[in-house]
Amino acid sequence: MIDFDNISKTYPNGTHALYDVNIHIDKGEFVFIVGSSGAGKSTFLKLIMHEETPTSGEITINGKKISKLKRREIPYLRRHMGIVFQDFRLIDKMNVFDNVAFAMRAVGESAATIKKRVPYVLDLVGLKNKMKDKPSELSGGEQQRVSLARALVNNPEIIVADEPTGNVDPEMSHEIIELLNEINARGTTVLVVTHEHELVREFHQRVITIDHGRVIGDTKDKGVLSDHDVDDDYNDVPHYPDNAVVLPD
Amino acid sequence: MKGFGYLAKEGLKNVWNNRIMSIASVCVLVSCLVLTGAATLFSINVAQVVESVGDSNETTVYLKSDVSRLEAVYIGKDIEKLDNVVSTTFLSKEDALEQYKDELGDELFAQIEDRNTLPDAFVVVMEDLSMYDKTVAEIKNIDGVDSINDHRELAKKLTEISNLINIICVGVVTALMIISIFIIANTIRATMYSRRFEISIMKSVGATDSFVRMPFLIEGVVIGIVSAVVSTGAISLLYESVMSAITGMIPFSYIPLTHVILYVAAAFALAGIVVGFFGSFISIRKYLKKEGNEILGW
Ligand SMILES: Nc1ncnc2c1ncn2[C@@H]1O[C@H](COP(=O)(O)OP(=O)(O)OP(=O)(O)O)[C@@H](O)[C@H]1O
Ligand SMILES: [Mg+2]
Repeated sequence: MIDFDNISKTYPNGTHALYDVNIHIDKGEFVFIVGSSGAGKSTFLKLIMHEETPTSGEITINGKKISKLKRREIPYLRRHMGIVFQDFRLIDKMNVFDNVAFAMRAVGESAATIKKRVPYVLDLVGLKNKMKDKPSELSGGEQQRVSLARALVNNPEIIVADEPTGNVDPEMSHEIIELLNEINARGTTVLVVTHEHELVREFHQRVITIDHGRVIGDTKDKGVLSDHDVDDDYNDVPHYPDNAVVLPD
Repeated sequence: MKGFGYLAKEGLKNVWNNRIMSIASVCVLVSCLVLTGAATLFSINVAQVVESVGDSNETTVYLKSDVSRLEAVYIGKDIEKLDNVVSTTFLSKEDALEQYKDELGDELFAQIEDRNTLPDAFVVVMEDLSMYDKTVAEIKNIDGVDSINDHRELAKKLTEISNLINIICVGVVTALMIISIFIIANTIRATMYSRRFEISIMKSVGATDSFVRMPFLIEGVVIGIVSAVVSTGAISLLYESVMSAITGMIPFSYIPLTHVILYVAAAFALAGIVVGFFGSFISIRKYLKKEGNEILGW
């Protein structure tokens, strides 16, 4: 689903953010991306979202070579992705419903579809009773769940989350990763950048470690060992928990 | 386009949320349109006057003030003998005064009735206007003829004035158009800046460029249409009052507003839409090229 082939990224100011990165992520995987500050984690996600373009190498997403993508095709690439930001990026003057509906309106969904779909997704993240609240009236964890609902509402194949737990308390962090796990369980690929090693250890998922722009660890890669190493087979077998959530199209 | 209703509503909201800038844009665009409209109406009126004056084969020949009525009859006969002259009609100074009274109103002329200094005259109709100059010269040679009201001179003068005004207007209007586009571009840029957060989210969820652009284009076009409507109203009010003031001084029959107002409104609407569209288009283009945090200026 996502392929990085010898990807290097140098920013216009000369900062080398990534060196010769080779990564393959399959459909339905859950991947933690860890590494120290400035390692290149966000850059990695931005390349996937086509917010930045690689300096060299080729990225393939869903079989499409990113370098061959025309400008007007980029929005359609992004419709396959749901993005969650560390700072939530909710629109203050809109209530919870409208914040989530905004993502559907932006891709031209009909009012009728929006009216059906938004409450469903808000229910999924446990915020159905807060639909009329403004983001400023919610806790950090609740705000992040709204942001997650917005990322989910267009039924993406990939969820990309850059430190989704960075601004919420530890208990909420756990809940958010739990939610992402549930979403992953119905087949959505999930990429999460995080600093919270506790969480990473707890969820037994694939972990990619980036340091100074290089991949120095990948629990899926048998050749590389890391302290997060878990049973490799775990990710190869689809694992649907009992409470698997299946979203309607 | 899917979701057009939503985008149109967003565009209207932009106009309202940004109303100070919107009003400024409308004001500049209105002054531009009104000036263009006024210049155009002026020149088509002049063109009409010039046409009616230039085409008329009637020329007024004024007689010297010491010419008696009897001498006048002979002068009339002499004029009629000329090759190119079809007919002559005597216009006594009393008749002339009556004519002015009809055209300009009684009050002004009531007092000068007994000291009428208008000359007696003949209205001469010529057959072939291409021989106008030659015939005028022949009439001028006849004893007792004082002067000839040369309509062609007048037509030429009017056309010159009209052309000069047109040239000045083209310059002023071009400058105002550029200012209008610039002001609208700035208005839209301000709106885009205040909505940069929404724009960045729209782009991150996969909104197409045309979708992101639409509310801002609508904002520009709405500003253009509002300006066109205001300008049409302003021109209608101005036209009648200015024209009645001018005809109070120089009598002529101007083109009635009802004959031209539809064209004026259509031209204003078109110009408003084009200026509004381009004004917004310029500022949107730069914005759409940005990605992610660049949009937010982070
Ligand atoms: N737009 C940019 N222009 C120039 N340099 C950049 C830009 N974005 C990131 N960098 C640099 O690239 C390197 C990698 O940045 P990146 O944001 O990917 O790190 P990160 O792993 O996400 O760090 P953090 O954990 O602090 O978020 C850093 O040295 C950073 O300063
Ligand atoms: Mg980062």
